[in-house]
Amino acid sequence: MNFCTLGRYRGGLSLKLGRSGSNSGLDLVVLPLQDTFNYIAATSIMSTSKKVITREDWEKKLNDAKIRKEDMNKLVMNFLVTEGYVEAAEKFRMESGTEPDIDLTTITDRMAVKKAVQCGNVEDAIEKVNDLNPEILDTNPQLFFHLQQQRLIELIRNGKVEEALEFAQEELAPRGEENQSFLEELERTVALLAFEDVSNCPVGELLDISQRLKTASEVNAAILTSQSHEKDPKLPSLLKMLIWAQNQLDEKATFPRIKNFSTAALEDPSI
Amino acid sequence: MPVRVVDNTQIPQVSGVNSGYTLSPCTLLSVGQAFAGTQNVSSIQKEEAWRVNVRIQGCDLDHGYLCGTMEALNVPLAETPVVTFWEGEIVDNKNYTFFTGKWDAKPDNDVRHWSKFQSFSPLQNQVEADGGKSLDLSNYPYIFMRWKELYFVNVGKDCGLTIAGFYYVCFSCSDGSINGFYYDPNSRLAICCPISSINVGDDPYSCEGTTSSHGTAQSSTCC
Amino acid sequence: MPSSAACKRPENLVEGLSSKDPGTRLKALRDLKNQIIGNRTKKLRYVKLGAVPLVSEMLESGSESVVLVQAIATLGSFGCGLDAGVEAIVKSGALPYLFSTLANPDEKVVEAGARSLRMIFQSKLTPKYNILEDKEMDFLFSLLNSENETVTELAASIIMHSCETTEEQKALCGSGVLDKLALLLEGSSNQRDASLDSLASVVKNNREVVSKFVGLHNGKVLSSVNGLTKDRSPRTRLLACSLLIALGRACPSQLQDIESKADLVRILVELVEEPGRAGDEAPRALGDLIEKSEEVQKLACSVNAVEKLCKFLHKGSIQAKPLAGILHALAELCSNLEDNRRLFLSLQGLPLVAEMLNHESVGVRIAACICIRNISRSVKNLSDGLTDKSIVIPLIHLFDDPSIEVQVAALGATSNILVHFTTHKSIVFECGGVKQLVKLSSSMVSELRVNAVSALRNLMFQADKMCKENIMLELTISTLASLICDPEPFVQEHALVLLRNLVNGNVDCINYVFAEDGLIINAVTRQVWNASSVGICIQGIYVLANIAAGDEFHKEEVMRILFPLPEDGRNQSILIKFLQDSSSPKLRVATLWCIINLSHLDSPGAVDRIARIRGAGITCAIKIMVNDPCLDPKVLGPSLGAIGDNWPK
Repeated sequence: MNFCTLGRYRGGLSLKLGRSGSNSGLDLVVLPLQDTFNYIAATSIMSTSKKVITREDWEKKLNDAKIRKEDMNKLVMNFLVTEGYVEAAEKFRMESGTEPDIDLTTITDRMAVKKAVQCGNVEDAIEKVNDLNPEILDTNPQLFFHLQQQRLIELIRNGKVEEALEFAQEELAPRGEENQSFLEELERTVALLAFEDVSNCPVGELLDISQRLKTASEVNAAILTSQSHEKDPKLPSLLKMLIWAQNQLDEKATFPRIKNFSTAALEDPSI
Repeated sequence: MPVRVVDNTQIPQVSGVNSGYTLSPCTLLSVGQAFAGTQNVSSIQKEEAWRVNVRIQGCDLDHGYLCGTMEALNVPLAETPVVTFWEGEIVDNKNYTFFTGKWDAKPDNDVRHWSKFQSFSPLQNQVEADGGKSLDLSNYPYIFMRWKELYFVNVGKDCGLTIAGFYYVCFSCSDGSINGFYYDPNSRLAICCPISSINVGDDPYSCEGTTSSHGTAQSSTCC
Repeated sequence: MPSSAACKRPENLVEGLSSKDPGTRLKALRDLKNQIIGNRTKKLRYVKLGAVPLVSEMLESGSESVVLVQAIATLGSFGCGLDAGVEAIVKSGALPYLFSTLANPDEKVVEAGARSLRMIFQSKLTPKYNILEDKEMDFLFSLLNSENETVTELAASIIMHSCETTEEQKALCGSGVLDKLALLLEGSSNQRDASLDSLASVVKNNREVVSKFVGLHNGKVLSSVNGLTKDRSPRTRLLACSLLIALGRACPSQLQDIESKADLVRILVELVEEPGRAGDEAPRALGDLIEKSEEVQKLACSVNAVEKLCKFLHKGSIQAKPLAGILHALAELCSNLEDNRRLFLSLQGLPLVAEMLNHESVGVRIAACICIRNISRSVKNLSDGLTDKSIVIPLIHLFDDPSIEVQVAALGATSNILVHFTTHKSIVFECGGVKQLVKLSSSMVSELRVNAVSALRNLMFQADKMCKENIMLELTISTLASLICDPEPFVQEHALVLLRNLVNGNVDCINYVFAEDGLIINAVTRQVWNASSVGICIQGIYVLANIAAGDEFHKEEVMRILFPLPEDGRNQSILIKFLQDSSSPKLRVATLWCIINLSHLDSPGAVDRIARIRGAGITCAIKIMVNDPCLDPKVLGPSLGAIGDNWPK
């Protein structure tokens, strides 16, 4: 899966990112937060009737908000690096001159691990993580269990019933003894073996591709943490903040809202 | 054996600070101390009395807390002595004031009961004025308390006795005598009558000076 | 069975480690590493098969980098979270070789070496790094100054592991460690965490170092630590809180205002619910913070700390260390406030804590005992099932625990429970508890003696005559007499209270005091005259007061002791001295009680005794007590004076 296009800024307000492949593109919209908060503060001391902010006023205010381009670039770089888009990060570094806050070569290793899990080569992934930093799985019992569980799932997926049972007994059962919640998860996983038609069984979701993605992102986060890097990109939390801020403001004022986050279009206030 | 009560009682000064003080420790009111006396139950129809033994089981002056057991002997119709466990609130103006504020006791009930104690009279005006919150009781030779029985220790609830009410209690630090009045708003017993009076037993000194205040959990020396 | 599993049989793999063929060896090493990482069971198996020395050998023989990195990582994993692994590593002599890898020209080897050593230094079994030696200190600072992040983190871990004494703290501080660690606070998040962690051990209980740290860069470092309590990473928040708590414990003025304490309480209680290490360690930090402060305990309760911690207990399957932390926090929450105890009991926490008394971990057993001890401080709660067999019997079993600390804690809890009025003291007899208490009361360990005698004292409290006699049958007169003169003052005091409880309210029991040539009374007399503390003296006087409540013979014996003849060579005016002791109102009161009982008019010899007491000039001392600053002697003195007026002239 490759990153392929990088959208241009629109007036410093919104940023579009997309990628091709089986997953649909993810669009992000970023608003100048500082300005939004100012609005809340301003309206909160006004009368109780909702203040109306026209589109014109709003856009003017937005344009007045100074956002340093370097800061925006850093946010982009943070996203690319955290999510592991090493080529795009490299390209973006050359285009914008923004230095990544992490050694780009480590991204390649991290992505190799992530990819191995996504493809179902869990054993390979585990060995790669251990080469990268043996502490990660030694100090993260939960992650280690989830990887082993994923290994079991892959064995079951491939119909290797006998091997699966042996593996569950040998590797996973001792972990279950150490931790009650592991035991419950193990029982759920082994239950897969009891159904002939797994696509129709209550624990069938374990075989879903989303389970691989879940495990892969857990490994990704753990590697990032071990590298002193935040495990989540900053952009999604900014988006959440935007939604929160809009809702807060909505109680006090009528204003041009962003409803469609993929286009970031301002919608006229309805009066 | 009768003990003369000290008469040179000083009236507590109004302290001006309303945070209250922890009362001074009193050997007669410490864990393990036992008391014996009688409880009078009077109503319009009849008067009854039974012997009572009280023992202090726990005492925490910092929190204005006291607890213990009360054993009623020769209770009519009861086959065995009846033992109850009670907890006490010590009026120290820090943890508790003269006003009960619960158990269906209104301020006028409170004042009516407290004023039955002679030792309360020097305080009455102040209590009526501001609830007595500004009184420094820490060195007053009488300790006022409310004792509330919580459960029967050795008999079932169907023993024909009630513990729905509570006692207004006055303890004398100098001779260890305890007097109390029972108040139960739901009982048909006349609330104004002195219902309980517990006095120090026959030979106070051989037991009072003796039990261990160190036998308590609170003073336990564990790490 | 799949073939891949067969060739990974542990025995074969270990064989491969000593293969002549380098390729086979490396493959076996890699396989071993990948098998043991994250897997305790396998680590233990391979330790038993002797894999550790074989891997250590590969370090010694100057292998090439690829092999070195694998061997180092494998050792690190053996040392991670497994005491047996650390032991094997230390025994194999690998530590010096691991340290030498830090000077390897290959950065990958250095990185691996630093990581492994860091894991190994997490264990208590790893020998202490000798900070006080100049050469070692220099090396430590060279690590702190390293360009490599992991190496600096290692240095911080070593400090955390090995800095324990005031001397070591001073030495580190003198070499400028505070500045270095402050610098690391500005580094990567891992460096920051390592620095916070080791700072806590450098400042621990050391007021001097604390004041240096607080003043660092005009307080800027301190305020950055304050800022870190709101960091995005839960672990950083926890470590920053722990450091602030350590500062406050060493120097209370550092953590004085209730606002900052409230902040810490809020942050820590929130952290309790965080998954992973931060959540695991938060309860212990919370417990440390609220220790001894009712005010802070109230705060913690107001943000539902008791509910949250109990929820975890109910959920079960918690690792030993976090479990001990949760119990520690609950114990502190229940240490002073009745409301908290009541809440804890209503949440059905007690049966779970009782179960923990049998836990395999020493730390959990201790914490469970302390928790029960604190809950049983309230007499009312004792009647709510604390005296249940399900608690008393396991506690008594712990008297035999291999760990002395557990024994001490179990005695403490039992001691409190025995106070209660409904305790069937017979349970303790039935399961041989008294025998064990007596045995422990002559232990070589003074803490055990103190707590065992304290438990016996509470067992004696309000006991009936038969119970008292049974205790004395086990304890014996000579042991009690020697406990009264024990080298440990607390044992002396508890033994005197035990005696005071024994002779209370029962004339027959007073006779123990005079049996066997007066062994006990002689010991008491010695203590009253030569007590090392006023507390001991008070208890001695109360013993005499209780004896004086006995019959005519008893009273006369007390008179003989308190009013010695001049030829006895003892201070004749000791009672006056005690009555006038301005330092202890309790001693004055105890003495008054003694005189009250001696002069009790109902007994035939009273008139004579009163004359002797008067002859000793005590009347005057008693009359002065009208002006005593303390209420208790003030009201008792005059009441005796009143009796005194009726004394026959």
